[in-house]
Amino acid sequence: MEFLGEVVGDAFAAFSDFGPELLEVIGLTLLVSGFSTVLGVVIGVPLGALLALERFRGSGVLRTFVNVGMGVPPVLVGLGVLLLFWNAGPFGALGLVFTPGAMVIAQVFLAIPVAAGVTRGAVGGLAPEVIGEIKALNLPATMRYRLAIGEARAGVGAAVVAAFGRVISEVGAVLIVGGNILGETRVLTTLIVQEARQARFGIAIAAGMVLLVISLIVNVSLGRLHRPLGVGL
Amino acid sequence: MTFDIKVPNDGSRLDVTGLELPPGMTTVIFGPNGAGKTTLIGFLSRHEGLGGPGMTAYLQQRPHMFRGTAGFNLGLGLDAEAAGWARQLAERLGVAGSLEQEAPSLSGGEKHRLALARVLATPADWVLLDEPMAPIDFAERTDLLAVVAGALGGRSAVVVTHDINVVAALADHLVILDRGRIVEQGEVSRVMGSPTAVRSAEILGKANLIGGIAESSQGICVLKAGDVRITGMGSVEGPARALFGAEAVTLRLSRAGHDLSNRNTWVGRVESLSRRGQLVEVVVDIGVRIVAAVTPGALMDLGVEAGADVGVAVKASAVTIVST
Repeated sequence: MEFLGEVVGDAFAAFSDFGPELLEVIGLTLLVSGFSTVLGVVIGVPLGALLALERFRGSGVLRTFVNVGMGVPPVLVGLGVLLLFWNAGPFGALGLVFTPGAMVIAQVFLAIPVAAGVTRGAVGGLAPEVIGEIKALNLPATMRYRLAIGEARAGVGAAVVAAFGRVISEVGAVLIVGGNILGETRVLTTLIVQEARQARFGIAIAAGMVLLVISLIVNVSLGRLHRPLGVGL
Repeated sequence: MTFDIKVPNDGSRLDVTGLELPPGMTTVIFGPNGAGKTTLIGFLSRHEGLGGPGMTAYLQQRPHMFRGTAGFNLGLGLDAEAAGWARQLAERLGVAGSLEQEAPSLSGGEKHRLALARVLATPADWVLLDEPMAPIDFAERTDLLAVVAGALGGRSAVVVTHDINVVAALADHLVILDRGRIVEQGEVSRVMGSPTAVRSAEILGKANLIGGIAESSQGICVLKAGDVRITGMGSVEGPARALFGAEAVTLRLSRAGHDLSNRNTWVGRVESLSRRGQLVEVVVDIGVRIVAAVTPGALMDLGVEAGADVGVAVKASAVTIVST
C-alpha cells in the first residue's frame, strides 16, 4: 500500500516537475488524434451511410474490410504504414517516417473502419419507413447520405466518439511509425510505455490521468452536442 | 402493362399474376386489411417496370419527415417548378400555414398532407399512393380527394386503399385484392356494377357506385347518370360518382313509390336475386344498375321476383357524391 501511495504522490509531483514537457506531449496527442479523428470521420461516416443504404459491386468486400478493420491490431496498421512510407518504400520520398504526419496517416486508417462501422449500424437501424422515404425520394446520392446521417445523428455521434477513443488510446501504431521521439513524436500513450518501462511510474500515471480526463471531456461534450437535437426523433 | 409479382419470403404470401396497370390511368387496388396492398405497392415502387427506386413518386402509408422545416421537406427532390406546384397543392390540402415549422414536430395528419403534396408534385412517370386518405378526417376526405383526383388526372398512378370513397373518387381501373391474390380487376364501373366473384362483392360491401355529371346548388348535389337523377351530399360540379351502400336502398311495391320523403325514388325492373349471408342482394335496373341488400322477410312481403317492377328509394343523406 505504501508503494501505491508513493506512486500517486509522484504522479501529482510530476505535473509540477515535468509540466512543460507534459504539456507538449498532451498538445501533440490532441493534435494527432484530433486530426486523424476528423479525417477518419469525414471519410468513414459517409462510407458507413453508403454501406447501409446501397448495394453495389464490391460492397460486400468493402463491408468485410470495415468489419475486420474495426478490430485489427494497431501495431499491424502501424507496420503497414511504416512499410509504405519507409525510405525504400513506395511513398518513401515523402520523408514522413517518424513524423507526426505518419502518425496521423496510421491513425486515420484506424479511425475510418470504426467511424464507418458504427455509422453503418446506426443508419441500418433506422425505421423502415425512414429508409424507405430516403430511397423513394429522387435525390442525388450525397443528399441521401446527408439525410440518413442526420436521422441517425445519435448513432453518428457515437461513431465519432468511438473513432476518437480508438485513436487516442492506441499505442502500437504511433509507436512504430512515430518512434516516440521526445519533443517530436512522443504522445501520451507512448510516454506511458516509455516511463513504465523505466519504472518511473509517477509520470506514467500522470499521463494516464490526462488521457482519462480527455476521454471524459470528449464523451461529455459530444453527448451534449447530440442530445438536444435528439428531441422529436 | 401487366405484372406478375410473387413475394414469398416476408410472410405476406403475395402472389399476384396478371396485374394490369394501364398507363395514363389511375389504378386503385382495393382490399381488406392484410390483403397485401402495402407489400404490393412497396414492391411496385422499386419495380424496374415503373422506373425503379427514385423514379416513381411514392407516398408511404406513414410518410417520414426529415429534420428541417416543413417547407424543406415539401421541396425535397423537386426542382423549382415542381416545388412551386407542391406549395400550391399544400395550400389546397390545408398545410400551407405550417411550412415554417419544424417538420418532425407536426401532427401525423399534417405530415401526411405534406408528403402527399410533394408526391403529387413530383414529375415522375408513375405516382404510387398507399392509403392517401388514412389519417384525414372523414369530413375533409371528399374535398381532399377532389384535389388528389385533379392532380392525378391523365397520369399513371397506383393507389391502394380499403376506403370505398377513394375508389369512388380516383379509380379508372379497379383491382380487388384479397389474401395476396387478385380477386377481380377491370374498368371500375364494370367491376363495381357486376361483381362476378362472390368474394369481391363481399369486399366491396355491396356498394353502389354510379358515374355521371354532378350539379350543385344550395347544399344539394344532383348527379345525372343518363336519365336517372341521384340526389346526395356534396358540393361537386362536373364529372362525379355517387356512392351509397346496398343496405341504404329500400325496395317497395312499384305502385306505392311516391309517398315517401326520400329525395331518390325510382321504379325499376328486378334483374337478379342472390343470397349473401343473412341478406338477399337484389339487382334492380332503373336505367343504371342498383344493388339493394334486404332481409328475406321483406322480400317475402313484397313478393319481389326477377323481372318484376319494383319501387326503389334511397335517402339523400346516405349518398355521397365525389368528383372524379
